[in-house]
Amino acid sequence: MSISAPVNRRSNLKIAAGAVVCEESILKGDITIGARTVIHPKASIVAEAGPIIIGEGNIIEEMATIVNRLPPNIVDSATPALQIIGNYNVFEADCTCEASKVGDNNILENKAFVTRDVELTNGCVIGAACSLIEPEIVPENTIVFGSQCHRREMNDKPYPQIGQLEYLMRVLPSYHHLRKANIKVKSDPAT
Amino acid sequence: MAYLFQPDYVRYVCSCGSLKPISKMYFCRHCLKIRCGYCVCHEADSHYCPNCMENLPSAEVRLKKNKCSNCFDCPCCFQTLCTRAGQAPLRPPASSADAKQDVKATPKKVYYLSCSLCRWTSRDAGIPDQYVATGGWPEQENPNSTRISTLIDFHKVLASKEKQEQQRKKFPTKRTFLQYEKFGLTSAMVRKRAGKPLEPKSLIQHSDQPAPAVANEEVDDLPAGIFTEAVDITKITTLEQRLQHPDVQAEKINELRPQHKQFLVKRSQRCRGCEHNVSKPEYSPQSIKFKIQLAAFYHVPEIRIVTCEPLRVGVASELLLKICNPTQHQTQISLLPLDTPTTPTTVTASGEEQELKRENIQMGSESPNLLPLAVRQISVTEDPKPITVVSGAEIALPECPLFLPPRDDAAEYDETNDASHFQDDKKVVVWRKGNKIVVRLHVTPFANEQNKGEPVIVGFVLRHGYVNTLATLEHKAPQKSELNVQLFLTLGNLVGTA
Repeated sequence: MSISAPVNRRSNLKIAAGAVVCEESILKGDITIGARTVIHPKASIVAEAGPIIIGEGNIIEEMATIVNRLPPNIVDSATPALQIIGNYNVFEADCTCEASKVGDNNILENKAFVTRDVELTNGCVIGAACSLIEPEIVPENTIVFGSQCHRREMNDKPYPQIGQLEYLMRVLPSYHHLRKANIKVKSDPAT
Repeated sequence: MAYLFQPDYVRYVCSCGSLKPISKMYFCRHCLKIRCGYCVCHEADSHYCPNCMENLPSAEVRLKKNKCSNCFDCPCCFQTLCTRAGQAPLRPPASSADAKQDVKATPKKVYYLSCSLCRWTSRDAGIPDQYVATGGWPEQENPNSTRISTLIDFHKVLASKEKQEQQRKKFPTKRTFLQYEKFGLTSAMVRKRAGKPLEPKSLIQHSDQPAPAVANEEVDDLPAGIFTEAVDITKITTLEQRLQHPDVQAEKINELRPQHKQFLVKRSQRCRGCEHNVSKPEYSPQSIKFKIQLAAFYHVPEIRIVTCEPLRVGVASELLLKICNPTQHQTQISLLPLDTPTTPTTVTASGEEQELKRENIQMGSESPNLLPLAVRQISVTEDPKPITVVSGAEIALPECPLFLPPRDDAAEYDETNDASHFQDDKKVVVWRKGNKIVVRLHVTPFANEQNKGEPVIVGFVLRHGYVNTLATLEHKAPQKSELNVQLFLTLGNLVGTA
């Protein structure tokens, strides 16, 4: 995929109207980005093994990596693996997400790492420098924190970062070139 | 203290016998001895909260149980909690009356505690939000507080009784039972004959004595489902979390309560030999400076290993050492074998060398400790510990003394080479710049069966001239003396035999 021509790459990229995707972000492969999602410069999204679908209102910060990676022993799978990322998730700087499915309102803090066999449900917080490498489905509202990766269940969900999202959507276009949206908004205005 | 050359390759021998890198040692300028954290008296100077930097007198600190009243630690991950402001959560009106109230009430600002690491909030624990930013948090009652207070009260009574008795002993009263002693009866025997307990215990009334703790064999039964129900580890507190709060030891996560932050102390350290301060921080908790900081780093020449050739048994390997003079005075250094006595010497006015003793060290005032005798820690003088390091190589030491010029910060930027001022033996002094020299030594490892696989250690005595500048304060000529420090260098593993 990495060798493919830029024209080809652009055609695989579907950006919904209202998303803020900086020109300097690294996007490879078949990627769909929902409305109101902010992708910072130097964030990288690599759809290696199959398409990546990113929902609405996500913040993907610089150096954050979202990879749809092939399983290590399979070189070329016949059925492309789909990676789905829900709504209002925050990928903080330098985190790596390979999870096959990410729900809503999750936060991956700085340098967090989630491997491909993990499924994040809703409202989970993967703390700074914590890594999840064993296959599992993380229950809702789980917090992983500290150097020992302690876990705790949170009573209330992390609030969606609406304020931060609105600020970024206002500020980023004034200082960065953006990739153009190429699909119309089809979601209902309620979300 | 983290140090540039963190693995302790070069260790100095403290006067107490422990081996430490130079960055962890003090040098007492008054008795000219190296001191380390083990052989100084520690005194708590001031208590302060590391979060809000509040500084409190020690009496108040004791009253507050060494804890800050305003700052809290997270009960979950032990980080400092921060106060966050939020809008009062809107509740759906349960009845029409409530709905009316909600309309009237403007959204108020509420405050809750939140941990930035593990996202624990006081709302998790069910603590109601506060309407003021500081204070007002509900205190958690110690379940055993009544028992503890009765015990403390009882011990206070005991202490006061003891004090009274001691005072009474100073003014001896006529003992009532002495009258019997002329009949050959001791007072104890009289008491026994009279059917009274052996010792007059009347001072302590039995009503004061708290009920003793009762050992109980009956414990509550385990819950019925303990072996069948699955354990949810995320809802149970860890051992650390329980021990952080020993008086409650909550078992469930939602029973955790924010903990008051512990105070830290600023401490000063005193030489055990002469009771002068070797380290005294500034009083203010915001300041990181010291009033007195007699670190060995500023007074004793520092030695670093530059390179060492691979070590083979019986083969001389080249060892380059960098020696740095940190003082303001030119110094003369000689490297001597390890068995040299380490007593300091001085040159008297008549020009003869004599051993430096406590009497002839020029010292300042005799008793520098200003605390009253009853309060201050009595300095315990211990014999130095024996050194257990086994030297694994023979080291050929230069016979000529080495001269090091004083430290000059400007010389760092001086490009000119001033090596020509000193007539150095080119075989020994390889390099010279400013107050630093590099010397070449040769080490020959022994064939040592016992310490196979362990790194080779060599030791020697560093003799350096030291100018005691304390005397200049009293308008005397500065006293020059020669000090000896034992040093051990860890050179690395043997690579093979010759």
